[in-house]
Formats: sequence, C-alpha cells, structure tokens
Amino acid sequence: MAETKEEAPVLEVRGLTFGYGSEVVLDRVDLAIYPRDYLAVIGPNGGGKTTLLKLILGLLTPWSGRIVEHLPPRRGRFGYVPQFSTFDRSFPLRVAEAVLMGRLGRRGLLRPYTREDREAVAAALALLHLSPLARAHISELSGGQLQRVLIARALVSDPDLLFLDEPTASIDAESREVLRQVLAEQNERIPIVVVTHDITSIAGAVRHVACVNRTLHYHGGGELTPELLEETYGCPVELFAHGVPHRVLREHP
Amino acid sequence: MPSLAAALSYDFIRYAILAGVLASALCGIVGTFVVVKRVSFLAGGLSHAAFGGLGLCFFLGINPLWGAIAVSLACAIVLGLLDMEKVKSHDAAIGVLWAAGVAVGIAFVYRTPGYAPNLMTYLFGNILLVTRTDVITTLILTLAVLAVLLLFGKGFVAVAFDEVFARVQGAPVRLLLTLLLVLVALTVVVLIQVVGILLVIALLTIPPVISLMVWKDLRSVLLSSVVIGVGMTLSGLAVSYYEDLPSGPAIVLLGTGLLLVVYLVQKLRGRSLRLLAPARPQG
Repeated sequence: MAETKEEAPVLEVRGLTFGYGSEVVLDRVDLAIYPRDYLAVIGPNGGGKTTLLKLILGLLTPWSGRIVEHLPPRRGRFGYVPQFSTFDRSFPLRVAEAVLMGRLGRRGLLRPYTREDREAVAAALALLHLSPLARAHISELSGGQLQRVLIARALVSDPDLLFLDEPTASIDAESREVLRQVLAEQNERIPIVVVTHDITSIAGAVRHVACVNRTLHYHGGGELTPELLEETYGCPVELFAHGVPHRVLREHP
Repeated sequence: MPSLAAALSYDFIRYAILAGVLASALCGIVGTFVVVKRVSFLAGGLSHAAFGGLGLCFFLGINPLWGAIAVSLACAIVLGLLDMEKVKSHDAAIGVLWAAGVAVGIAFVYRTPGYAPNLMTYLFGNILLVTRTDVITTLILTLAVLAVLLLFGKGFVAVAFDEVFARVQGAPVRLLLTLLLVLVALTVVVLIQVVGILLVIALLTIPPVISLMVWKDLRSVLLSSVVIGVGMTLSGLAVSYYEDLPSGPAIVLLGTGLLLVVYLVQKLRGRSLRLLAPARPQG
C-alpha cells in the first residue's frame, strides 16, 4: 500500500459539490486515484456513487470544485462500463460492431475505422471469451455476455483509466470469473475504479475503498471496518466473511 | 392497356420515376437513422411545421420552398441543441408544432388571392407534376446528404446507438444530433414538393421498419431500406398509372401491405422481431 500512496495521483477530485435541483447529492468530495490503483467506491443507493462517476467522466458539470487529470489528454483515455447498458438493445448491430464503437474516440470522428481498429476489437473479444459471439446480434446475449461486451468496448480503446459501474450486478458465474481475471490483468497496467454495492464480489483485488454517501470517506487500506461502514450508511452494518476470509472483510466472530 | 414503352415516352413520367427513385433512396438512408433513433414523430413534426413556412411564403409571393426550409431548419436546430431525451419527453409539444404548422400553412394558402393551388398536392403529393427542376434539386440534395453521411456516418451511428458512451469518448454529441436533424429537415422539405408530406413520412418509416424485421446490422438495414423504398415507389407509380389512383396513396398502401406481409412471414417463421421492441427506459 505504502508504495502506491507515494506515487503522484493520475486523477484528483478536489472539493466537488453537485446536486440535482436544489438537493445536494455530493458535498465537497475529495478523492485521488493512483497509478495501478484498484479503488472500490461503495455506499448506499442514492448516496451519489454513480453521480460521482459521471462527474469524473465529464457527463455532468459540478456546481463547484474541480477534477484534475494527470493523464495524456487524448480521446479514449477513459474506459467506461456503464451500469445498465445505456443503449437500445434492439439497435441493428452485431457484437463486434458494438465493440468497435469503443474505438471512436481514438480513431477520431472523421476517419474511417481501420484494420488496426478491427484487430483491436478481435483482441478485446478474445480477452473476454466472446470471439464465438462476434457476429451475434446484441439482443441475443445473456446479461453476463452483454456485460462482457460492455467491458470489451471499454478496453478496446486501450484506456489509461478504467471505470466500471456495478459490473457484477446480475451476471452468471462464468462471466464473473472472466471479469475477475480480466480486471486483475488490466490492473497490472492501469488503475481501475469500480462502483459497487457488492464489494464481496471483487474483494480480493481492492486496494482502496471510498465510501460515498453525500460526503466521501476514503479508506487507505483495502480493509473495511464496521465503524467506517456505519459512518457511510448511517446505521450499523454487519460484516460477514463468506467461505474463505478475504482481505477486505474481517473474519466474522 | 397502355404499354410501358408508351408511358416512358412522356417526359412527366420519366421525371416522376427519377424523382421517385431519388426520393426513396434519400428517405431510406435518412429514415433508417430516424427509425433507429426513434424520432419518427419528431420528423413528422418537422415536416408539418415546414408546411406553415411554405404557406406563409406562398402568401407573400416568395418561393414557398424557402419558407419551408427556413422553418424546418430553425425547428431542427432548436430541437437539436436541446437534450434529445428532453425532446422525446416533450412529445406533446411536437404534436402542437405539428398541428400549428398545418393550420398556419392552410390558412395562408387559403387567403392567398388569385389562383389557389390544390392543397392536396402538398399533403399527398402528385409525383406526376414533378418538373425537371424538382428532379435536379432532389438529386443535389441526395448527393449532399450522402456526402455528409460518408463524412460523419461513424459519428451518427455512435450517437444513434449510445449517446452517453459517445460523449465519454469525446464525440461532439449535441452537434452530431443537430446535424442529423438538419439532414432530416432538408430531406423532408425538398421531398414535400416532390411527393407530399404524407409520402415523405411513409418513405422515412416504412422501408426501415420492414428492413429491421429482416436484417441484423445497420449496413444491411440501410441498403435494404433504399431498395424497398425504390421498389415501393416504382410499383406504386405503376399501380397509379394503370389503375388510375393518385400516386401517393398507391405507394403508401403498397408499402404498408408489404410491411404486413413481411411481419406475418417472420412471425410464422418464429422470428421474435425483437428489433422492433419498445425502447427500454435508460438507466
């Protein structure tokens, strides 16, 4: 942990405040993402996790505060895996073409996709065990397969920072295992930020935890304490270790 | 029964065929984006609003085309600069725009002194009255739209498919959507003169809806929409010629008939027709 903290962050959130209408959703939030970080952003529903992610991605404009990037300023530097697919699944598109959209930022608007782009798509599909489904229509996929398509689309731009919003919600065991492996591999090179309410599913790999509920509590270690959770959720939360105890959770007494 | 060769010897028939083919091709392309982006109602609103501008210019003695272009372009740009989700949620407002456009158009045309053109021509079109100038205007517009699509096609597809993701990738989403609506507005306006408002909407929606029942990828849907649109128009013109029916309704009825047949065939083959599923609320 210590070596990670000494490095300069790749992205900083400074004093970020945002709300919808007159209701404040995030209040003076500070956060730093370090190189090769694996940050879990947790918190109750409506606590502002997804809103924080959208602010960092530039999809929303903060009321006050800033987001400071120390990344090469290129399009396609953010890999983004949305919570629910933000697209219409009846759209006439095959899996490979949906993943190709991930090359839009990198290739630029006016230049056609090249052979290099298509090779990157093939590689991303292989990485996520989707190659046999390349020509399937996006409406023919299961929830877990669609989730993997979304991850392939996020990775195909070779991003400098990967964001995932609830990646483990309603996916099958096979997809879960593929996801765990792929994220571990990616984390060798780039920082990963996962927004989730289900921290146990990614627990083993997490380095830092940020608890968001209007305000943000940053937890340096990868370990959650009952006190931290209580502060975030505003009520006592019990921690259980299921099966093999992992790093995030203390063993249940 | 008059022979085909005899029919083709008339200039007006040749112009009708040329204009019809160009109009259908243009509508097939632009219509595919209209249908997959689910803005058919918006396209209808634009065309009927354009009718208001057309009527006003007619009353003022200016070329009605300019009025129609000005109004529909203005509407397209204003709507494009708004948030697309907001525009979709304001469908009642589009309904008002739709009705008001027609009312303004009819009122001005009615009050214009002297020769009153047949309003039916604007609403239902009479492709047999198409002039050489109309054919050339349609050709230029078709080429211009194709050029814009070749240049920005990738962006249009990305924005039509997933606006949020396109924005994260740094694509100018608002600009692309506005440009798309501008293409719709231009298509609608010029084609009102050629084929009438009713037929523009029919050619924008029927061929892509049929294509979506058959094909899985956008390229095939685009191509098939052009082919179906051209087929619909040509066979509609033939029916109109031989059976003495107005061309507009003949084309629309043939298209609707084909849509029903394809729907039934696909149903019987056990296809789920998922491509026409209602849009899911976005998360």
